[in-house]
Amino acid sequence: MWSVLTESLTAWWPETVLASGALAVLVAGAWTRRSQPALTLAWITLAVAAVGLWRAPVTPSSGVFFGMIVCDPFAYAVRWLALGATALVLLLVMGSREVEAAIRGEYYGLLLLLSVGLMLMAEANHLLTAYLAMELVSLSSYALAGFLTDVRAAEGSLKYLLFGALASAIMLFGMSLLFGLTGTLSFPQLARSLAELPAAAQRAAIMAATFMVVGLGYKISLVPFHLWTPDVYEGAPVPVAALFSVGPKAAGLALFVRAMEALAPAGTALLPLLLTLTIVTMTLGNLLALVQTNVKRLLAYSTIGQVGYLMIGLVVHSSAGREALLVYLVAYLFMNVGAFACVTAVVNDSGSESLDAFRGLARRSPGLALCCAIFLLSLAGLPPMLGFFGKFLLFGAALQAGHSWLALAGILNSAIALYYYVNIIRQMYLLAPQHTAPVDEPLPLRLAIAVCVVATLAVGVLPGTLLQAVRAAATVHLL
Amino acid sequence: MLTALLACPLVGMLVVMVLPKTAVRAIRLAALLATGAALLLSLELLNGFGNPAILHYVERHSWIPQLNVFYFLGLDGLSLPLVLLTTLLGFLACIASWSITERHKEYFALYLLLEVGMLGTFVALDLFLFYIFWEVVLVPMYFLIGIWGGGRREYSAFKFFVYTLAGSLFMLLGILALYLRAGTFDMIGLATAGRGYELPFQQLLFVAFFLGFAIKVPIFPFHTWLPDAHVDAPTPISVLLAGVLLKMGAYGFFRIAYPIAPAGAAWFAGAMALLGMINIVYGAFVAMAQTDFKKLVAYSSVSHMGFVLLGLASMTSQGFNGALFQMIAHGLISGAMFLMVGVLYDRAHTRDLHAFGGLGAKVPVYAGLLMFFSLALLGLPGLAGFVGEFMTLAGTFGVWRWQTAVSVLGVVVTAAYTLTAVQRVLLGPLNAKWQALADINLREILTVAPLLLGTLALGVYPLALLSLQDGAVVRLLRHMAGAR
Repeated sequence: MWSVLTESLTAWWPETVLASGALAVLVAGAWTRRSQPALTLAWITLAVAAVGLWRAPVTPSSGVFFGMIVCDPFAYAVRWLALGATALVLLLVMGSREVEAAIRGEYYGLLLLLSVGLMLMAEANHLLTAYLAMELVSLSSYALAGFLTDVRAAEGSLKYLLFGALASAIMLFGMSLLFGLTGTLSFPQLARSLAELPAAAQRAAIMAATFMVVGLGYKISLVPFHLWTPDVYEGAPVPVAALFSVGPKAAGLALFVRAMEALAPAGTALLPLLLTLTIVTMTLGNLLALVQTNVKRLLAYSTIGQVGYLMIGLVVHSSAGREALLVYLVAYLFMNVGAFACVTAVVNDSGSESLDAFRGLARRSPGLALCCAIFLLSLAGLPPMLGFFGKFLLFGAALQAGHSWLALAGILNSAIALYYYVNIIRQMYLLAPQHTAPVDEPLPLRLAIAVCVVATLAVGVLPGTLLQAVRAAATVHLL
Repeated sequence: MLTALLACPLVGMLVVMVLPKTAVRAIRLAALLATGAALLLSLELLNGFGNPAILHYVERHSWIPQLNVFYFLGLDGLSLPLVLLTTLLGFLACIASWSITERHKEYFALYLLLEVGMLGTFVALDLFLFYIFWEVVLVPMYFLIGIWGGGRREYSAFKFFVYTLAGSLFMLLGILALYLRAGTFDMIGLATAGRGYELPFQQLLFVAFFLGFAIKVPIFPFHTWLPDAHVDAPTPISVLLAGVLLKMGAYGFFRIAYPIAPAGAAWFAGAMALLGMINIVYGAFVAMAQTDFKKLVAYSSVSHMGFVLLGLASMTSQGFNGALFQMIAHGLISGAMFLMVGVLYDRAHTRDLHAFGGLGAKVPVYAGLLMFFSLALLGLPGLAGFVGEFMTLAGTFGVWRWQTAVSVLGVVVTAAYTLTAVQRVLLGPLNAKWQALADINLREILTVAPLLLGTLALGVYPLALLSLQDGAVVRLLRHMAGAR
């Protein structure tokens, strides 16, 4: 008993540090009116957690916390992603003027808690852990989304809460069905019991799996469970929208992949449905993004489109697919947070979220415009940026699995998506600015943009190391 | 050596990027030095170039070992002439870029990036690397047309971007399918493996590559981006569009589609001949209907690239040689024609053919040059254009008789529209509006003089170019015959 606990804690102490740090930050935030101590504490916590994750064993010898949690290489990769996303978003928060006005110490605490939830989602090996992790993420998200005191924030947050509550109730129902059928909640045992179910009970298992898809689909903005996304992004401060567009998507997809393994017999029956949803998601996301004039809404629909590409890595159900998924998640983290960082700078400057705010940015701040263009072109999938390499692997995985239509849909969508990404570039480079003062970029924003642009370009040109690191995570047996 | 060639414009771009944007002279000088260095280096390449059938200056380094991707460069008889054409036009168009009046720093940085992409496309021998260079061309081109162009520049730039990207995405699918089957991106290895594949797979591959290359060439009915982009681009960029970018598509057929999917190519040859014929005749007739001088030259490109397609369809050594020759000849001549139109437009600010008349006496030097290049365009024997067209037609006639016969009609129409244009600009009574029109200046003469010499030299002594490429053509044909 004691040895299991010590071993579990060695594997899990990044999360332990993060969780206790988060609580300390919350207390510190409530204690003083000033947010500076809470911010410092948050950075210290993140740094210690990063060191912990660096030192943590990638594969502990036995089940962590009696098999409730699994710390395998796959989870390890996503834990780094979650930590990276949190750190980058923290920089964005520090550089955002709209947040500055309303900032309180608790804000940072919530961010850290959310990041614990993200890591836990990737590691869940048990339906109960999965549910707890998702609720932790959701509850922190509701609060973060409604942090600004205006009507749009309130609408977004409430919409988020209502949709979220419904989705998690449906998922809970699915879980209870699974428990009734198999008598277990643990992923490995679920997989074994489901395989032995009599044929008549298989249909119930498929139904339960469908309910699970609803909950997970909500988290990753899969069409038709995406309706909250644009409103929440619009209402939330830009840095928070950045976090929503990356963190929960990465963790949600990781959990989705693992759950599909656990529900394999029933999950396989769902593959045609998921395949259809994947194509619909990317197409609808990209088509709706075409008509947006608010840059946050545009990026929300672009996120939905990107989730469609990411889903390819899941539905092909192969290690090549998981590898592509992880690479694209890394690419997506940097290019999307980078794009949001540029939006933060522009919103700081103009106070407007309209696409017009980008007009003539190339003349006002050439560096910022260039970085923004690189992020957008990477999102559009142009080489030599990292986004291209990720897409290349994703489409390759689709072809390899024999889903030529899926690859074709991805290709056509990339062409559609080009329109709205290039439209922002057009605003920046081809149109004349309304005034010529350069856009002010606070130091944290500069840092975030620099990190993202270097990663997008350098890893894009030399993706070998990333691929090497990810390959170990993708080939591992997930249960 | 080839890395150094690519590095010239790349280093130039970086230098331009760090220079302050008010230092216009320094920026121009840096760009000129970079393109000049690339030109000298590419001429140097001729020295060590022996048998055109084998690869020279090979560089091969592992790049992404997990995917078997290599940084693999090399030159043979198919690519060397195009590299020379690219560096020559790149240098001349850089001189012509003096006429750019705003945002110099961005312009020259993008211009040099474009040259990196174009050169890379011709020297890459790894499909992955090839695709990256191929796409690198798109982005600077979008900006160069969109920012410094005229007319409906935003529309044209975007149309160019979307069309070519859509095409290359299909090519990407083809590359992926090929990689999953063969496990390599090495074009030489793929050519060996590819010809052994069963016909349906080769057909699929060929269609995927065809869509990518056809839009670039452009082949009817994918040509509609061309008149827009060529007309709205600034003069130096039109030169590169017509002179180099169109050749990228045709080169793709020679380097990738034909060697890797020879059976697919043979299956498609009939359609290719038909499309070539349509390009020639349709392009020529549409050019005849134009009143905008630049648009006329743009459509003449559609027509002239048709000969390349016809040569590709023939699958004979004469046809292939003719097509490759035509690519270089068209690069020189149409590049020069765009420069000539640009010279006129810079002075008159109109390109309407009906607005001119009688300029022959007013600007004699310009008139002489325009006459020369127009005659080259219509295929006067003794100049480069004739050799390419004649060889292509002769090589194709034995294979695709009536298609070739109809294509000859295109040559007649070409003569008609070219002479009409020249007549409208140079002959007749002088329009009083142009009393004060200045003749072509020294800088402009310098930009077209090398093209004039090249056109003349290749027309009189075509063997100079043919001996560079023939060995590669013979090897390609033998390779393709091995598949059947």
